[in-house]
Amino acid sequence: MGRNILVVDDDDIIVKSCMAVLGSDGHQVSGVTSAKEAMELIKKNTYDLIITDIIMPTIDGLELIKWLNDNYPYLRIIVITGFSSKAVLRDAIALDINDFLPKPFFPQTLIDTVNRTLSTPPKVPVPQKTVELFDTERLLAITQQYRKKRGALITVLQEAQELIGYLPASAQKIIAKGMKIPVSEVYAVVSFYSFFSMKPMGKYNVRVCQGTACYVKRANEILNNLQKDLGINEGEITQDNLFSLETVRCIGACGLAPVVVIDSDTFGKVDPAKTNEILKNYR
Amino acid sequence: MTISTIDDLHKIKERENAKLNDKKIMLCGGTGCLAGGSLKIKAELEKGLEQNNLKDDVKVVMTGCNGFCAHGPLMVTHPDGVFYEQLNPEAAPKIIEDHYVKGQPIERYMYRDTVTRKPVSILNDIPFFNNQILVALKNRGVIDPENIDEYIAKDGYVAAAKALTSMTPKEIIKEIKDSGLRGRGGAGFLTGLKWELCSVVAGPEKYILCNGDEGDPGAFMDRSIMEADPHVVLEGMIIAAKAIGANYGYIYVRAEYPLAVKRLRIAVQQAKEYGLLGQNILGTGFDLDIEIYLGAGAYVCGEETALMRSIEGKRGSPIPRPPFPVEKGVWDKPSVLNNVETFANVPQIIIHGAEWFRSMGTEKSAGTKVFALTGAALNTGLIEVPFGISLRRIVDDIGGGLKKGRYFKALQLGGPSGGCIPEQLLDLPVTYEDIVKTGAIVGSGGMVVMDDTNCMVNLARFFLEFTAHESCGKCTPCRVGTRVMLNMLTEITLGNGREGDIELLEDLAADIRAASLCGLGQTAPNPVLTTIKYFRNEYEAHIRDRWCYAGVCKNLCTFYIDESLCTGCTACARACSTSCIAGEKKKPHTINQSACVQCRSCFTACKFGAVKIGSADKFKQQEVSI
Repeated sequence: MGRNILVVDDDDIIVKSCMAVLGSDGHQVSGVTSAKEAMELIKKNTYDLIITDIIMPTIDGLELIKWLNDNYPYLRIIVITGFSSKAVLRDAIALDINDFLPKPFFPQTLIDTVNRTLSTPPKVPVPQKTVELFDTERLLAITQQYRKKRGALITVLQEAQELIGYLPASAQKIIAKGMKIPVSEVYAVVSFYSFFSMKPMGKYNVRVCQGTACYVKRANEILNNLQKDLGINEGEITQDNLFSLETVRCIGACGLAPVVVIDSDTFGKVDPAKTNEILKNYR
Repeated sequence: MTISTIDDLHKIKERENAKLNDKKIMLCGGTGCLAGGSLKIKAELEKGLEQNNLKDDVKVVMTGCNGFCAHGPLMVTHPDGVFYEQLNPEAAPKIIEDHYVKGQPIERYMYRDTVTRKPVSILNDIPFFNNQILVALKNRGVIDPENIDEYIAKDGYVAAAKALTSMTPKEIIKEIKDSGLRGRGGAGFLTGLKWELCSVVAGPEKYILCNGDEGDPGAFMDRSIMEADPHVVLEGMIIAAKAIGANYGYIYVRAEYPLAVKRLRIAVQQAKEYGLLGQNILGTGFDLDIEIYLGAGAYVCGEETALMRSIEGKRGSPIPRPPFPVEKGVWDKPSVLNNVETFANVPQIIIHGAEWFRSMGTEKSAGTKVFALTGAALNTGLIEVPFGISLRRIVDDIGGGLKKGRYFKALQLGGPSGGCIPEQLLDLPVTYEDIVKTGAIVGSGGMVVMDDTNCMVNLARFFLEFTAHESCGKCTPCRVGTRVMLNMLTEITLGNGREGDIELLEDLAADIRAASLCGLGQTAPNPVLTTIKYFRNEYEAHIRDRWCYAGVCKNLCTFYIDESLCTGCTACARACSTSCIAGEKKKPHTINQSACVQCRSCFTACKFGAVKIGSADKFKQQEVSI
């Protein structure tokens, strides 16, 4: 199965030959000759693997890898370099790369290394919505719309969360800039209210009501069983990004206690022993 | 269209009343029933009507919460008032066929009396309903909440028109003060007095605020009013705004209540179109704009100063009072904050007068109160009763008592700020004063019935967990104190309790109460104090005997079968999740203690009460004695 690969090298010939070799193996390969162009492309597209040189003008490969680790930690990285000194090697390995190919190399070696790397799972789970994949323009538009209205920060954050699904640090920075207030003020509000989340949600967000009426009807057992069923703790997201699990302090449907809410579907009078049956509909 | 005089209101009312005898199906569209699938039922009902060519004769109306949530989804036929409950999409064609085509009410979907099991056809004959007096909830289930005309038909906005056109602010305040209406949000402060304090503060810019941040777990009164009758909240706010001289209002509502938000937004829009909100209302020169503000999930924002900070877009931390919000509230301007239910009472008082309101309830607690009755009672849901009614009547008559075989243990009132009231105090009348004497509070109206399967220590732990989590962190006694109490209670429920723990809990509680700034901290210890006061034996049993009577704390109980009561029906063995119950048919069974995971399945399954709960050491001691 072809995968998305990006080749970064200041030597145009290397880029082209890598593209040809890997393209013939069925992958979709793009190539650029500077780290700057690479960053632009990575922001726009999704890749499974980045192949990068180390010694490049302006931004070098090590810096690119650091940037990738900070922003896209799930991306696999293979380093290709002609200067395979021990120091460079040590630096690169310290940055947690997947593999290392000294130049020059045979086409088959490249294919083998790439496919071996692609067969390993990503270092960290891929978030459902990758960082900064949100619409920066729309986010700025929201802040502009409310900038002159006093006390609008919470409303802006609610709309931003609606747009992105959660509130990553990068989004909070943009909001602070747009509203012309310090980031600390934005973060202070985000961290205070339980409605705001700094972590991405699963495709389906499972919420277990922990109100009194639900609690006396064994809602905590429902939570325990869901944690077992999903293999995650409260506040976490499953490996496949399908479910996230959280508790909620009473949704006001006490007549139906105990209650589980998945997105906008409410399940009432849940039998703690049969939590798995609710999840079945969503798998 | 714009309404500029009272006559315009009367015209709409007459127009609507002409349709009064139209046949309608009032299908509940409250959150509970929606979750039960009432939208699907609506589609099926309409399909059934079309197939029988009744589409033009009978209309299906989605109403707000009817209150009888435990029996939902439900519907009431109009005008004959037949009540059908526990509906599903398959029931819809049968009801159309029998009720509307053949003209025979269908017994299968009727309410059955909890004792006689006989079907009751008419809504008002059901004890759950006929023991209630509706004031704040008077329009529940009888109007379409998304249609302002139906609200006007029920005398809607008449009170606002009266207040705006023929009453001075002083007269409005006098009427509300005379009625003795007290804040329904929990503290029970006199509403008229609050308005008066704000009205005398000079200043052109004032605010009227509505608190719909209903955070108490196990309570949904405000949600129900906002969903079933959003216009009554607006009308109450218009009257209050006139009384204090405010031209801007906020309704602060939880984002977790999407349906309430939607219906309030529709209501504000409709009121604006009719000119009942905005500039120059009813030609009186009075302006009022109302904004819906969504809360973001912080319990402490139910506290007035915290709520005002939240509206300003800040962290919702309370600030010291004085200055009180009536002088310096939102944006440092004089503000009045009232609860949703308080506002819902106001139009009625203006129409019928203070004397009428005082005729219900008691001397110091006038009028009615809405409660969310939940937990182990058979008939749970939303109820409105006059103050002064006894707790026992609420639990037994309206709630229908408990499930057979279970016995009443306590009534939890007032959520995390309230307490547990034991059986011996059930004859107390419900008034602000009498409930406070027990250590609980009337609060916003959460009422949870506890039976013998609820452990009081664990319940206190649950509430402390809630307050410890929701403490905003400003005052150390609340932030740290609740956590220390929570840790102690957790250790007790895990079986690590020590002698002296109870006394230390009481000590800590007194300190937290004395040294916290806002109501959250001041009342946080109440659930612990009341459970210690009335159920001290349970605490002692947990600590000394390692025995949780209710079998909730897993480290502190052993399930076993009383051989003298066991009939050998095998129900427990079939229910057991780990297959650790052995025994021949018609002979006493036994539980293999080493394999039991205390899932309670056998306890729930046994119809003869033969499965008993012993202390954690029950069988260990026996081994020693042998």
